[in-house]
Amino acid sequence: MAPAPYLVFDGVTKYFGDLEVVAPSFNLDIARNEFIVFLGPSGSGKTTLMRMVGGLETPSSGEIRLRGQAIREPDRDRGMVFQSYSSFPWLTVAQNVAFGMKYRLDLTPDRKKARLDHYLKLVGLSDFSDAYPNKVSGGMRQRIAIARTLAAGSDVLLMDEPFGALDAQRREDLQIELRRIQQQDAKTIIFVTHDVDEAVFLADRIIVFSKRPARMLEEVDIAAELGPDRTLELRDSERFFKLRTQVLKFVRAAAGHDN
Amino acid sequence: MTTKMTATQAIEVDGEGAAMSDEQPQRIARRPRNQFFVFRGTMSKRAQVATSITASVVVIAVWEVATRLGWINSLFLPPPSVTVETLWTMITQKHLLWNAGISTLRVWVAFALSVVMAVPIGIAMSSFRGVGAALEPIVDFIRYLPVPALVPLSIIWFGVGETTKIFLLWLGTFFQLVLLVADDMRRVPQEYVEIAYTVGARPFQMLSDVAFRAMQPSLFDNLRITLGWCWTYLIIAEIVAADNGLGFVIWAARRYMNTSEVMAGVVTIGLIGLLTDQILRLVHKRLFRYL
Repeated sequence: MAPAPYLVFDGVTKYFGDLEVVAPSFNLDIARNEFIVFLGPSGSGKTTLMRMVGGLETPSSGEIRLRGQAIREPDRDRGMVFQSYSSFPWLTVAQNVAFGMKYRLDLTPDRKKARLDHYLKLVGLSDFSDAYPNKVSGGMRQRIAIARTLAAGSDVLLMDEPFGALDAQRREDLQIELRRIQQQDAKTIIFVTHDVDEAVFLADRIIVFSKRPARMLEEVDIAAELGPDRTLELRDSERFFKLRTQVLKFVRAAAGHDN
Repeated sequence: MTTKMTATQAIEVDGEGAAMSDEQPQRIARRPRNQFFVFRGTMSKRAQVATSITASVVVIAVWEVATRLGWINSLFLPPPSVTVETLWTMITQKHLLWNAGISTLRVWVAFALSVVMAVPIGIAMSSFRGVGAALEPIVDFIRYLPVPALVPLSIIWFGVGETTKIFLLWLGTFFQLVLLVADDMRRVPQEYVEIAYTVGARPFQMLSDVAFRAMQPSLFDNLRITLGWCWTYLIIAEIVAADNGLGFVIWAARRYMNTSEVMAGVVTIGLIGLLTDQILRLVHKRLFRYL
């Protein structure tokens, strides 16, 4: 018997009024430190599933448990990184990152300072700590959000197409960086995207979703094929291409899948 | 990979601004030509100031010439030179500054009262559905009542003293402002609220540390605009029930067909407005450097 799962979707459904967003019933066990990618068409309800983990939506039935505890509201152990409005314009880069620790009473000011410096450095923003977000690039703004979430001490990172607005190059850099951070700091990540390349490159496991209402169509174990380390060379490898083509087929099937 | 490639990125590929700000495609390539009539074109600060001054000077010059040449009867519209002269006489001999001071004081007292009430109530209205549902119909109803229609009632209630004037100004601004404030709060991106909650903020902390902070620039703009409306209602209030203030000065001058004094009074209000607005814009710039 495997160890008790870390994060569990247990018979989850979701309706907004009459609109069925998550089809009955969604079940998924996620291990600690696993990088899960939710892949599927836009508006398929995968974001809603992720928001329920964040406690920002409530399941219509079923429940989501983290370490055996049912999730009822947002809290610091589950950090969110949004695609847009991901940092506060009135705070400097450093203040934005420090905001993640603002409500932590367990840290001394010295400790907070040390963590701030650590995470600024980790995401490569030390040189921009006094700049306001409007003076830095979109990629940097996403890194602010990631650093803030890490500084908050969230064990689970919920990322909703965080790299959607970035150009290809910066996107690739951040993907490598994110994967490295995840390995180094042992985070559990749910990452929503509709980009197949990104999904295969980042994931330990990909969940392919149908069109709305969301249901799991396929589950692809990427870690078994690619292992934990993801590098640029891997991206050009045949293994990667094969896997990508396979996942792409699933996604095409999902797009044509009419309930 | 390709589905998400939007126009934003397409612009970047050939633009030189690729190093920074990939979410701001508004920097359209500059061309060395007259920017005067280019839609959202650029203009140097100096050129803008020069244009502003030139336009004002032209308006004043045309006005002066038109009255001097008798195209317009100066009994109805005195030329700027006479207006300025009158303005000076009124300052030195007729306590114009004192009257302007009284008017300004009334505006600010009533405005402050409106702000102190409208900001918390407006925030509550858009933050809590119950409060919004309870207050919105009432506010909307009163908001559409023209202030002059309530002058008789307010005189019956409060007599012709300061209370009536403050009440009328408050009436004209509070109900407008409360909805503007509610709207400012409503427009705070949900993402900001959710960021606060996911780093462990409690609802009150979210409101004070994030939502209130996020709405401040637009709140400030709305306050600036509402302050301007205060002057409209001030003149009405001072015309119907006052023996001092700029409204009274203007109305008293009208009785003797003293158009140059009327004009001088009007110009004074315009100058106060211009000055206040410039100061507030400067404060806005200082407060919200990050914009």
